Amino acid sequence: MDTRIVEFVSALRSRGVRVSLAESADSLRAIEAVGVLDRQLFKHALKATLIKEPADVPTFEQLFPMFFSGEGAPLQTPQGLSEEQKEQLQNALDALKQALQELMKMLANGEQPSKEQLDQYARQAGVSSQMRSYRMNPQTQRWLTERMLREMGLTPEQIKDAIEALMKQLKMQGMDGQGRQEVRETIEQNAEGMREQASRYIGQSMLQQPDDNPHGRRIDDLMNRPLSSLTDAETDELRNHVRRLVARLRSRAALRMRHAKQGDFDVKATIRFNQRYGGVPIELKHKRHHLKPKLTVIVDISTSMRPIAEFMLRMVYEMQDQVSKARSFAFIDDIHDISITFVEHRPEEAVPIVLHELPPGHYNTDLGASLKTFVQDYLDTVDRRTTVIFVGDGRNNYNDPRLDLVSTVKGRARRIVWMTPEPSYMWGQGDSDMVAYAPLCDAVHQVATLQQLADAIDDLFQRR
Amino acid sequence: MEHMYKKVSDITDALAGQQYIATDEISTAIFLGEKMGKPILAEGPAGVGKTELAKAWAGATGRELIRLQCYEGLDESKALYEWEYSKQMLYTQLLRDKISQLMSAAGTLTEAADKLASEENVFFSMRFLLPRPLLRALMSEKPVVLLIDEIDRADAEFEAFLLEILSDFQVSVPELGTIKAKSQPLVVLTSNNTRELSEALKRRALYLYIDYPTQESELNIVRLRVPELAPAVARQVVEVVQRLRGLDLKKSPSVAETVDWAKALVAINAKHLDEKTLNDTLTVILKHESDIQRARRALSSGKNARDVGQRS
Repeated sequence: MDTRIVEFVSALRSRGVRVSLAESADSLRAIEAVGVLDRQLFKHALKATLIKEPADVPTFEQLFPMFFSGEGAPLQTPQGLSEEQKEQLQNALDALKQALQELMKMLANGEQPSKEQLDQYARQAGVSSQMRSYRMNPQTQRWLTERMLREMGLTPEQIKDAIEALMKQLKMQGMDGQGRQEVRETIEQNAEGMREQASRYIGQSMLQQPDDNPHGRRIDDLMNRPLSSLTDAETDELRNHVRRLVARLRSRAALRMRHAKQGDFDVKATIRFNQRYGGVPIELKHKRHHLKPKLTVIVDISTSMRPIAEFMLRMVYEMQDQVSKARSFAFIDDIHDISITFVEHRPEEAVPIVLHELPPGHYNTDLGASLKTFVQDYLDTVDRRTTVIFVGDGRNNYNDPRLDLVSTVKGRARRIVWMTPEPSYMWGQGDSDMVAYAPLCDAVHQVATLQQLADAIDDLFQRR
Repeated sequence: MEHMYKKVSDITDALAGQQYIATDEISTAIFLGEKMGKPILAEGPAGVGKTELAKAWAGATGRELIRLQCYEGLDESKALYEWEYSKQMLYTQLLRDKISQLMSAAGTLTEAADKLASEENVFFSMRFLLPRPLLRALMSEKPVVLLIDEIDRADAEFEAFLLEILSDFQVSVPELGTIKAKSQPLVVLTSNNTRELSEALKRRALYLYIDYPTQESELNIVRLRVPELAPAVARQVVEVVQRLRGLDLKKSPSVAETVDWAKALVAINAKHLDEKTLNDTLTVILKHESDIQRARRALSSGKNARDVGQRS
């Protein structure tokens, strides 16, 4: 059983589940404790010791039956045959054609094929090399099993023909109808059992192959892919990843705040605290830093910017507890306050709503005009604690960039950060005004991938 | 005490005695935790009974439950031990005469200092140590159940520090030396998964994911906890809650809230769960205005339609 568990662990690893040596040792100890008799408990014990992420549970559930489904019903020998009938059966088997003989002997005598025999069949069927080159999935498993069964002569049609041949021989040997029926049923059952065994053999062999694309690497890969080139499925996967990413960013931001140098000496707190020592100042108290930036996010949601805008807004809103106040504005040709939508709805709903309300037009992006409205109506959202984030590619369709208005905003804000999906060599080409905007910003981040976006947001929460 | 539980089913029974309905998975985890002396890390949505599990197990075994509630900024002095400065001060004040008497025999300043130093350990002894939950769990004569609640709220550093204790069950206090556990506690860590826990912690613990109960077992819980509620209402209550969990809500109703709701219905003496009662008491299980709105819409349109549980 121990080797079986070790094999199971290596199959889990090959599917991208991280199992340490200590954990696999734990699983053996756990099995010692619960025993192997109750299959359900056995399973729970393995699960508790080996699987530490809810995301890995499906893999576990999929693999478990392949390794521990029991050996299936053991192969039977025909019951209730007289000595004479047994001899007749052996004679009939000997009389069969060479090709059928080996298999039918095994089936009729209830012999399990050994691992070596299965290996040999697999080689003959030409599936051993394929088991190594294909990734595990139910379809390929079925396909390869089918080929292996054909090689073994175990497909239902083949078995039917073989049984008929045997029956003919048995009749010639003079076995009565009842005996023949008994032999037929046993062989059919055994053939079923052997088919299952072959299928399991294929499944297990495939799992021994290391998976070249485990989940962890896949996410890293997605993190570094340009957001605009993702498929819908990949976008969904990334969205799910955003939560975990945000959690990590959040605890980093919190840690950084605590580790930051302590603030000024706090006279009041010190006196209050040291009352308990009779006023002797044994412990000094310092003011704590509260780094809760106020954010004003101004997002370009024209077509080219949408993927980034969505992830950007999501991340900012997931990090609400690190932000004391966030206002968001979206613009294409004029500015719109989208904060209310975000307060009323959750980010995953709010983003589609905003995108729906502001359909992209053709070449109508105008940051200059949008800024004018912003300065007129919403300038009060910016004060000296506010970080203003522009998310956009700075492509203005040759409209006036209104650099003077950006300066006005800069004069009031703590920082201006610009996030653009374009690399710096593309700034200034065509209708891009990035070259003009960049010097007015305290930081310009290129965010084409989620990783870059995460780094940029992480940077927002750094003290400076 | 350990030998009382030879089988996993014994544990299910013992927990049932504490009005806790445990699945096989839960009982297996507890069983292994006891047998292997490993901490159990219970994860899952809020309010599915992770904390309750530790309480029930403490109740079932008759052990003391020591609880450490984690929060951001929790540190060693709050979790492990603290020197009681004020008590030390008080003793110094009161013993001043005795001290000066001792010191008076000393001829030189050096002698006096040496003398004082030799008495130092009076002030750094167990007498002045204020044990916090972790140290209390280690020093307890009898085995205890140590509940470390919402570990995901504590910082990563605290987690690392906790690892040290959970692997050796000993701590070192610089002034006193190493304190080793007199009896190994059963440790239950809970997490709501607001933050990724470190690999190292997960490696050391047995992992238990507790999800919302199935309709049937939730009904069992309601019956067990609120036996006064009419069976028909109990079924309706559980059905509504299960349907609400299928909706996309800000905060799905927890098992504890289901029980609260059942109790509330008993209190207002509801004979059946009609639309008015439902509307009036929905606030017991839903805590966000937008959730309540959404649930009302879904439930009223779902009176005879089937679209509850599906997102529009």
